[in-house]
Amino acid sequence: MPIPNGGLITETNRQYYAGAQQFNTAATASVGQTFTSTFETNLVFGNSDPATNGYNLNNFKLYTSADANTWTELNPTSAIASTTGKNTAVIVAVGNPVNIPLTLANADVLKDMTVVNASTGVVYGTVLADSSNPWTSISCNITTQIPVSTDLRFQFASPWTEAANIITVNASLPASTYLKIQMNEDTLWDMHGDYSYTRLDDVINNFLIAYVGPGKLIPSVKRTDVIFHAKRGLQEFSYDTLRSVRSQELSVPESLAVVMPQDYVNYTRLSFIDSMGVQHTIYPANALTLRPYATPIQDNEGIPTQDSNNSNLDGTSKITQEWDANNPKKISGAYLNDYNVADIYWQNYYNGSLGQRYGLNPETSQRNGWFIVDDRKGLFGFSSDLKEKLITLEYISDGNAYDLDLRIPKLAEEALYSHILYSILSTSVGIQEYVVQRFKRERSAKLRNAKIRLSNIKLDTIIQVMRNKSKWIKY
Amino acid sequence: MAINVNTVYQTVLLILNKEQRGYMTPVEFNKIGTQTQLEIFETYFDSLNQQLRVPQANTDYADRVVNLDEKISIFKEFGNAPSISSSNVFNLPQQLGHNTGKASVIGMETAPTATAGATTQYVIGNNTAAPPQTITAAQVPNGVIQVFGNGSLISPSEYTINGLNIDFHSQPTTGLTLIVNYYPKQFYRLGQVLYQVGALNTEELQRVDRGELYHLLSSKLTQPTTVNPIYLYENNQITVYPTSISSGLSVSYIRKPLPPIWNFSLGGNNQYLYSAVSSYNFELHPADQTELILKILLYAGVVIKDPEIIQVAAAQVQQENINQQS
Repeated sequence: MPIPNGGLITETNRQYYAGAQQFNTAATASVGQTFTSTFETNLVFGNSDPATNGYNLNNFKLYTSADANTWTELNPTSAIASTTGKNTAVIVAVGNPVNIPLTLANADVLKDMTVVNASTGVVYGTVLADSSNPWTSISCNITTQIPVSTDLRFQFASPWTEAANIITVNASLPASTYLKIQMNEDTLWDMHGDYSYTRLDDVINNFLIAYVGPGKLIPSVKRTDVIFHAKRGLQEFSYDTLRSVRSQELSVPESLAVVMPQDYVNYTRLSFIDSMGVQHTIYPANALTLRPYATPIQDNEGIPTQDSNNSNLDGTSKITQEWDANNPKKISGAYLNDYNVADIYWQNYYNGSLGQRYGLNPETSQRNGWFIVDDRKGLFGFSSDLKEKLITLEYISDGNAYDLDLRIPKLAEEALYSHILYSILSTSVGIQEYVVQRFKRERSAKLRNAKIRLSNIKLDTIIQVMRNKSKWIKY
Repeated sequence: MAINVNTVYQTVLLILNKEQRGYMTPVEFNKIGTQTQLEIFETYFDSLNQQLRVPQANTDYADRVVNLDEKISIFKEFGNAPSISSSNVFNLPQQLGHNTGKASVIGMETAPTATAGATTQYVIGNNTAAPPQTITAAQVPNGVIQVFGNGSLISPSEYTINGLNIDFHSQPTTGLTLIVNYYPKQFYRLGQVLYQVGALNTEELQRVDRGELYHLLSSKLTQPTTVNPIYLYENNQITVYPTSISSGLSVSYIRKPLPPIWNFSLGGNNQYLYSAVSSYNFELHPADQTELILKILLYAGVVIKDPEIIQVAAAQVQQENINQQS
């Protein structure tokens, strides 16, 4: 089904897989043609000039083609958006209007084009009126004097703009050619797999349609109430139900500390990655050390001292310094030349130490290193054996950090409706308690159902695990 | 879909004149008619609220909510709300007409001029009679337009109006004298406010009051966005949040029924002769004709100081209300 036909899918195969939407330009060449994007993802526009910083904000590029085969990006210096010329052997003074005498030009010069130096990019002024062949004189508003015999380029500062998913091409598009919106790669990543989610706005609208109205348990409710409960529900679900674990690949610097991610709520696991790319879980050092919240500088009698603003003076933590300087192998009891790559064929060390490590504390007998959460500074601290190691930080967010996060897996959509319904009923007056309890149970059941669905327990995975039953584990 | 003003007037006169009880002048009738129409119109909303709380029969013609909605639908309007100086404050759609400073009913009569080469298209001209009145293309969507041909009202299905042009679907009779009346619509109640710009989805705005606004703007979870915008409705203006919204606002609203006019010319014996061209019918649904007449009679009883008329009319109106709401 390549063409959307009234189902939930509204993008064509090409839009989804290639991130491209193609248009035919008008039958006659003209400026100001508009093209409407039908991507599910909204277009984001900063600038159409790659030389500007705003261009990096765009989540798409615009291409033109004469044959829909070879595509050229549309930018200020594109052949169809600019033209060149050379003023004759006279100086063109500042003024408005001023005619630039030209000796050469290769395409129409259009109103609102910018006059720039073809080699240096210096801006001289703007074109006041359209001009076509033979281009002997162009009426302009000149703000910077043009030297004698200067190679000029007439270009649009913004050959195209975008607003509310409608692209307006300021340049003159040739007749019956092609234009293409091409999504950037990272945008395409976001688009792929998006069908397994429902946008929170859709959930809110669906809820208002199906659960609110005359003759229903909720005759009327404010939209902002529904938004609040939906977002709170998404937050709660993010903590323990949804597959919303995020991860970052980091390396531990000299300072043995990395900053918490901007959307961090809690960690799920920290691991270091060995040279084979295998991850080894790093354990929390909770029982071994801590990061003090405050380190007041004390006087000789132990009383904290204050600065000129009457606030306690704060020093650096000696606990942290000493923890950073220690050798974790002295805690774990590991050999100093311990090897920590997941290579089962490297057995020299193990062969020599088999049966010789009785009496170790299992809690600290690990060679993967430790981390500690420094809530005062918003950091993760690491033990010194992890210095310059590659680590992964897996953490959970609350599903509300960015616009793209505001979506719920379809497998948990029903649970979210139940959550909103219960939350509204339980905070409304005049609702009988048995009704509230009914929806409390319903919410609980649907949430449990969503957890089971999202835990991704597949039959073949269970079979694989169960095969271990046949393995001899005792001699 | 209107109640003929002449039918109502003649019926009222017939009942009043029976047994020589009294008489009601056209001026009195027009004023009482306006009052009565508004009274019935206002009951629609309370009745709808009442009926929404009662289980309805999902049967054709018997669903009271649907029936009430049908009556209200005559006055439902939808239009763009213009932004004031490209800000987040918007005027109501009908205010374009009010800003002219003219009376709420212009009652403009104008002889249209046929445009060259298109005999089915006519341009709404100016009324040269004192005081001279004109309308603009921008005002047209904000008013009710009636077109008369040789004194008879032409059905709106026979023409469409684009700007100041009246395009007839078939060529009118040669020599037909066309008269155009324009009545600006008056805003009555605000319905939904929608925001739509470019190719983005349409979003419904939520109405809040100033007390809530502070909390909503302060809460990060409920802060208004372009996807979940909110508005304040104060002093006949809509203030939208987030403040980045400065265009693309449209509103659904209920307009006020236009006042009925029973207009006349004087006959040879100085008698009143009904003039359809300059009269305006009751806009209420035909189902309300009986109630309308009874209520006018009730007021007429007060005017002519006849308690018996008041009692009979009041009893009838009450009986009708009981039937409709029980």
